[in-house]
Amino acid sequence: MTKHSPPKWALSFLQFFYKERYREQIEGDLYELFIRDGSTRNAKFRFGWNTLRFFRLRYLKGLEDFEQLTTLAMIKNYLKVAIRTLLRQKSYAGINIAGLAIGLASCLLIMMYVFHERSYDNFYPEGEQIYRVANGERGRYTPELLAPTMMQEYPQVEVTTRISGLWESHFKIGDRSFFQDGAAWADENIFSVFQMKFISGDQSTAIEDPEDLVLTESLAKKFFPDEPAMGKTIVVDGNNMQVTGVVKDPPKNTHFPFKFIGRIWDNDEANQNWTGNNFWTYAKIQEGISKEEMNGKLIDLYKKYVGPQTIQYSGHATFEDLVADYPDRHYGFTLHPLKEIHLENPQFSMGARGDKKNVIVFSLVALFILLIACVNYINMATARSAVRSKEVGIRKALGSYRQNIITQFLIESLLITFLAIMLAIVISTVALPYFNQLTGRLFDMSDLFSFSNMVSIGVILLIVGFLAGGYPAYIISSFTPLKALRGQMQQAGKKGLRSGLVAFQFAISIFLVAATAVIYKQVMFMQSQDLGVDVEQTLIINNGRELEEKYDVFKSELEGIANVSIVSRSSGIPFHGFGDWTYQVPNEDNRRVAPYNNFVSSDYEKVLGIELLKGRFFERNRVSDTASVVINESLAKELGWENPVGKELARPGGFSYRVIGVMKDFNYASLKRDISPLIFRYGPGNNEVGMFHQAYILAKVSTSDIVNTVNRIEEIWNEQVPGYPFDAHFLSDSYEKQYESERKFGQVFTTFSSLAIIIAFMGLFALTTFVLQKRFKEIAVRKVLGATVPSLLRMMIKDFTRLVVIGGVVGIGIAFYWLDDWLAGYSYRIELSWYLLLLPIVLILLLTWAVVSAKSYKAAIANPANALKEE
Amino acid sequence: MKIKSYQLGELEELVLMIVAILNEEAYGVKVMDEILDQIGRKVNISAVHTVLDRLEKKDFVSSYMGGASAERGGRRKRLFRITAEGSRAITYIHETRNELYKQIPKTILGYV
Repeated sequence: MTKHSPPKWALSFLQFFYKERYREQIEGDLYELFIRDGSTRNAKFRFGWNTLRFFRLRYLKGLEDFEQLTTLAMIKNYLKVAIRTLLRQKSYAGINIAGLAIGLASCLLIMMYVFHERSYDNFYPEGEQIYRVANGERGRYTPELLAPTMMQEYPQVEVTTRISGLWESHFKIGDRSFFQDGAAWADENIFSVFQMKFISGDQSTAIEDPEDLVLTESLAKKFFPDEPAMGKTIVVDGNNMQVTGVVKDPPKNTHFPFKFIGRIWDNDEANQNWTGNNFWTYAKIQEGISKEEMNGKLIDLYKKYVGPQTIQYSGHATFEDLVADYPDRHYGFTLHPLKEIHLENPQFSMGARGDKKNVIVFSLVALFILLIACVNYINMATARSAVRSKEVGIRKALGSYRQNIITQFLIESLLITFLAIMLAIVISTVALPYFNQLTGRLFDMSDLFSFSNMVSIGVILLIVGFLAGGYPAYIISSFTPLKALRGQMQQAGKKGLRSGLVAFQFAISIFLVAATAVIYKQVMFMQSQDLGVDVEQTLIINNGRELEEKYDVFKSELEGIANVSIVSRSSGIPFHGFGDWTYQVPNEDNRRVAPYNNFVSSDYEKVLGIELLKGRFFERNRVSDTASVVINESLAKELGWENPVGKELARPGGFSYRVIGVMKDFNYASLKRDISPLIFRYGPGNNEVGMFHQAYILAKVSTSDIVNTVNRIEEIWNEQVPGYPFDAHFLSDSYEKQYESERKFGQVFTTFSSLAIIIAFMGLFALTTFVLQKRFKEIAVRKVLGATVPSLLRMMIKDFTRLVVIGGVVGIGIAFYWLDDWLAGYSYRIELSWYLLLLPIVLILLLTWAVVSAKSYKAAIANPANALKEE
Repeated sequence: MKIKSYQLGELEELVLMIVAILNEEAYGVKVMDEILDQIGRKVNISAVHTVLDRLEKKDFVSSYMGGASAERGGRRKRLFRITAEGSRAITYIHETRNELYKQIPKTILGYV
């Protein structure tokens, strides 16, 4: 039998973990047992096992037992001192921690938002190879034939798909009937481009036939909670469709948030139309092929297919002539990477649109808030340094190196930052629902505590801790012990730096106030514009084509209601977007114009309150009006017509339209843009538009007793179109929706600006306190010599006033530059007036005076004897 | 008032008596062996240490470091002896048990 010795690991284990004085007896007893057991393998095992059984708290080394690791012991000491310092000065620590926490919470939320905005569409397999194909440079809609042609012509194109969406569809499942949003219609290649996870069904055959329907998991569960959805029949927009697949829901960060996908109607081979743009085209390009290379090929493709058809409209002899005529237009198709859609090309998005500007502005605001909080820390730490100079003196006298003192102060600031981050996490959790409202996104806890967010918070902890703690630590550690112990006040750091930092805070605050005021005014301005149309009293009823021939009955029944005055119909309505159609001017070189186009019937102008400048509007039952158009002022101006009535416009195919009236310009799209040319055509009996000329029914209702009026209208609808849900809204809602992004931008800006200003003033409050502490005796002496309370307050305020003015000039300068740039994006904009820019300075100045004099007043009225009795 | 502090666990009681028996010779392994020899009960060495520590904390035993020996790999023993408080505890426990025992009717003990 070989002699074994006790296991080495057990001995090291004992040495590392167990307290010295316990280790000896434990080891001794274990040795004794080991030898008695005969030093066998068994004994060895028992030795190890018993070692582990001794693993009890009482025997384990504490931090102080790691004698060899002095730094660790020192850190423990530093921590202890830091905690004691914080507890001794609760209000100072409180302001510091609260200020930093609010700043960090804003950072945490904004970071989450920024990460989210930048993560769009990053989850599709081989997503690097997927591109959206734009018409021209950035046009959304592409010809139907583009997708198949790209695949035929170029081997570099792996697969392409056409999508149309997202729409709303009418669903009938059993006896349930409702509208379902999130409808995408696509060709069979969609799952080859966008590879999705199929829960049931097969991706290669999922939408082969026009009856095939693919649902997302959540929709399938909603419709068929107890049974598999596969093979079920759903009536979609009147067609029987069968569920042939169920896919996982797309994640939140996608530009394509579909809920179900159906088969696009089949391509009519005979239809060789390259000028009707109705589809969105996506292409998957082979690995290693650059988009620039493909873009070049797509210009050739455009020339080959689209060119010949375009010149038929434009009247040019060759495509080259056309290109030469419009050098600033891009005749071709352009690839845009999938991942860039959300922020770079939000017009391509089918869901929430990103805004690169927002992301940049929010990141800057977050940075500002953090900077203000850091500046607070630096200011307060250096201002307070006098209080701690004795401590530093004693430490140095007792043998502390400068390095030790720097470490001590750094640890203190890291501790404050750490506590602030803990508080920030609580604050941001509580504020999450409100933040969701502000940004219009749906974040939850898992987004807030995502890995990337947590890593960034760790990095911020270190940066803020070292940045804010570093400078004060460096300054305080330079105190000479002799002076400190003799009781001489040592002024920490240069006063200039502290003043500079405060002025910097004021500059940021004033910039934010100015920006908030201007953004708010601009939003108010846009909402209060006279639009030229009556949005308040106009009820829009969707799906008017379901009425088919019963429109006239419907109209007369509606007009029979006391509160409904006029009813009309159209293919499009303001603020929902019209399509642009091309017209030629036959008598003037076949010049082309592309105004927005809307098919309306008589009385449309009365419902919306549109003013006619010249001529007349369409009249009921006047057959010749199908060949008449009404144009707006802008179009008349573009055409250069003084007297447009009677002039002619032509559509391809030899159709000619006579202008019968000119409308006063009214807003029908965002006020960000000028009013574009618009043309109205007569809808009823028009083949070009079919039943769609009554897609929307418009009713002018009186604003009294709205609920009953709308209910009555719904009743009439249900009588006329049984089984098809009534769907209506007021035009004012569509109008409001357009400014949602501005309003949200303004709200977010206001919220975070207020936070920044609150933090800055918390800092100012604390700083005033310390300045007063230092000038305590000075104030007393002045008072004895006859200074009055107001004169003392003035003295205190003077310094800060100077800083506000300096900060104000810088802040307003930057604000002016940036806001002017921002407002340039709006056609209808306010002018930057002097009072809008002066107001923030005055506001901040008043606040500063209030804070400083409130603090100073107490010192100014105090009995000077109290301050002077000790020396 | 004292009564409460004399309350000991069963193993504590046992170890306290063993320490009293071995007096000045008691240390971890020895106590463990003695419990096995006298009562026939197998106790893990770590449990013995725990009990000894606990008794020391209650001031029933005290300890000091003894000499080193080869069989212990040169480690010293931590030797335990009973304190006056410990003796009082043993006496108290013995007496209370005895008092109770005496009150048990003889007939009952006879049947067992």
